[in-house]
Amino acid sequence: MLGPADNAFLSQSGPDTPMGNLLRRFWMPALLSAELPERDGPPKKLKILGEDLIAFRASDGRVGIVEPHCPHRGANLYFGRNEECGIRCAFHGWKFDVDGNCIDLPTSPPESAYKATIRLLSYATREWGDMIWVYMGPRETMPELPQLEMGLVPAAQRYVSKKWQDCNWVQSLEGGIDTAHFSFLHAVPTRDEAARRAIYSRSAALGDQSRPDDRIRWVTNDPRPKFTILSHDAGLVIGGARKTDSTDLYWRIAQFLMPNHAFAPAAFPGEVYYGQAWVPVDDATCWIYTYSWLPDRPFTDAERAKFAGGFGVHSEVDDNYMPRRNLRNDYLIDRALQKDLSFTGITGVSEQDSAIQDSQGKVQDRTREHLGPTDLGIVEFRKLIMGTARALQRGEPPRASLAPKQYAVRSGGWVASSGKDLADVMIERFGHRNGYVGDGYGLAE
Amino acid sequence: MLSKADNEFLTQAGKGTPMGELLRRFWMPALLSDELPERDGPPRKIRIMGEDLLAFRQTDGRVGIVEPHCPHRGANLYYGRNEECGLRCAFHGWKFDLDGKCVDLPTSPPESAYRESIRLLAYPVREWGDMIWVYMGPREFMPELPQIEMALVPAASRFVTKKWQDCNWVQSLEGAIDTSHFSFLHKVLATDDAAARRAMSNAALGDQAKPDNRVRWVQNDPRPKFSVLGHEAGLVIAGGRKTDGPELYWRIAQFLMPNHAYTPAAFPGEIYYGQCWVPVDDVNCWIYTYCWQPERPLSNSERAKFRGGFNVHSVVDADYKPLRNRDNDYLRDHAVQQHENFTGITGVSEQDAAIQDSQGPIQDRTKEHLGPTDIGIVEFRKMVMGAARSLAGGDPPSAPQRADRYAVRSGGWVAAPDKDLATVMTERFGHPRGYVGNQYGMGD
Repeated sequence: MLGPADNAFLSQSGPDTPMGNLLRRFWMPALLSAELPERDGPPKKLKILGEDLIAFRASDGRVGIVEPHCPHRGANLYFGRNEECGIRCAFHGWKFDVDGNCIDLPTSPPESAYKATIRLLSYATREWGDMIWVYMGPRETMPELPQLEMGLVPAAQRYVSKKWQDCNWVQSLEGGIDTAHFSFLHAVPTRDEAARRAIYSRSAALGDQSRPDDRIRWVTNDPRPKFTILSHDAGLVIGGARKTDSTDLYWRIAQFLMPNHAFAPAAFPGEVYYGQAWVPVDDATCWIYTYSWLPDRPFTDAERAKFAGGFGVHSEVDDNYMPRRNLRNDYLIDRALQKDLSFTGITGVSEQDSAIQDSQGKVQDRTREHLGPTDLGIVEFRKLIMGTARALQRGEPPRASLAPKQYAVRSGGWVASSGKDLADVMIERFGHRNGYVGDGYGLAE
Repeated sequence: MLSKADNEFLTQAGKGTPMGELLRRFWMPALLSDELPERDGPPRKIRIMGEDLLAFRQTDGRVGIVEPHCPHRGANLYYGRNEECGLRCAFHGWKFDLDGKCVDLPTSPPESAYRESIRLLAYPVREWGDMIWVYMGPREFMPELPQIEMALVPAASRFVTKKWQDCNWVQSLEGAIDTSHFSFLHKVLATDDAAARRAMSNAALGDQAKPDNRVRWVQNDPRPKFSVLGHEAGLVIAGGRKTDGPELYWRIAQFLMPNHAYTPAAFPGEIYYGQCWVPVDDVNCWIYTYCWQPERPLSNSERAKFRGGFNVHSVVDADYKPLRNRDNDYLRDHAVQQHENFTGITGVSEQDAAIQDSQGPIQDRTKEHLGPTDIGIVEFRKMVMGAARSLAGGDPPSAPQRADRYAVRSGGWVAAPDKDLATVMTERFGHPRGYVGNQYGMGD
């Protein structure tokens, strides 16, 4: 439970808010690369952390992300001409490059020095892992890109999409690191085991289920996983242990990576890894970048088609990345389905998550929540991110922004004997306490 | 005319407002029973007096009305599972019964006492008169259900529906207790007597099953003389119009605290009509429209007529939104307005809705100019605002404690000109305030 001031502190990310300042110390996904496919193509409007921006791909392929309003008379450059390595205002022809330099000011005489005084606000961008990233913080503290494994593997071994979410980013992320809800929200209430397995295998909520295994039963039967949290330079390892048929424990281990990534806890070795990044549009909506990767082999076309149709964290979305089942159509909830084959009556793990997160309110009122032992990951996440934002207010830079290599981690599942603590389990499963795999990509730790 | 402060006092119904607290001392229709037809069926989102709520009919048929957000992490229970006498959250399976008690908390160990400390806000619910009623006030002041006659008669003798209204509830109610507007708003322009009567056959002036002179009297006297009598549950509001002889034609409405009104037309043997205004928020309300026949069941053709829009009943879509509404300008027809009726809008209920919406989302009563035909409105305001002020001063309203006194009728009568309203009421109803509870075993 948070006080109203803390809830506002946690959930507000506009300019000059403490959490907004923290987020601005990290690279944020701004668009999918596929959203700006064309050099000199049409600019795109976007909004990140409450700031309206324009993105365009210049003639040389580089991407600029700039404020939308021309410094001359405030016309929106969205209507401008993207040509010859710059965007030219449609009103009076002022032209700017991706760095915000005014490179043509045709309404002033050629000899005028006025042009050199004109700047368009522009943010640093990178293109990596099929996403366009933006850095909106102070230039002097700009970090390296976080070395997520999805960005380190060849493009053929990853799949990236995004989806719109109609609520504040924090509660949605909290849903992502809360792995206790799998015993409920994604449950298949039927007693028919074959039917249950068939539904799970269409959703990847509990691993790919390519080989039948016992995870479904374990998650169904133990709604009270015991949580352990390990901290590392880039974030948190959040492990939840459930009972199995023997004395062993079934561990589902998620990763939270500062400030807005989370990896799903299901993958057994050889299965697909899934992650998400939450990017606030404003305080009441966000984009979720959903990605999956395979360290060992390329994805098949069939796998890509499966993701595009909604699978794991990937929603089935329209051309604007709006989930087809969303707030406006009640997620196409089917109450007859809810009676028997689905805990929610909503089809799709991603859509089940969206529905329940949206339903917490535009911004969840955490003054009224009642957390318990299975919410430990959420508590530790809040401590870390709010503590880091408070430290930044005092002038201390966030540690994670200085440790981009430490983002090369994995999350996943494992079955271990009950005497082992989470650090031991991590070493067994990943060869490293933090799940670090960067050494396989030539990143010295 | 009211000051700005008084207008806000009168029209704001949110929690903690004086009028909101007064309304919360009474039972409110929350849904039609038909809107929750199924045990363990999908919950319904509702909003009453600015509070978002969820209603669900559980396994044993009882209805719960609760706050929508699970106390655990605030997920909306609307997406939850209505099963085995409770509503279970879809997020982590916390389950609540209709009294708001947490009956299962599967994320805590069975031996934990945490469950007992968890409560969901739940309001008491009753089902009565084909409606689901909710009481949103302090438990220790919960009254009996108001004994309105529509619910005392057998179900076969009543018809109940509802309609959405796009304005504050008070001005809409004021439209209903203002019986002088019948000479205008619902007027028929046709000069031919048969045509006029045909146009009036939608029951604005009684069922008109037998032709009579009410249509002409109302047309010819636009200045009824009003008398108002108070009683334990509300007000008798009567307008006396000239007839062809020395007698007066009385149209007598009832206002029942805090939000019911009965129409003034029924002659003995005709159908009685009433309405109840339930604020959704300060700029929208639901109007529950009901009618009843004390003497016989309503026929299927009468029910079909009501569903098609008749008297206070609007023709509505599956969500109870009137088919002729603000978004389509009530399908106002200029040619009809020129030649057939006063507004160009079809339907008495729709004419009322249009004119009430048109007063603004919340009527600005600092700019109104009341006259002698508005005396019912003046007395209504005195009564509800006085009761709200008393309550704010610690003096609870008396009407909730007199649930039996809601068993009254309204209607029309023709009486000698020297008779006062109490005498006319006694002539028409056998009681000076229209009380008929003695016919239902409630004493005199």
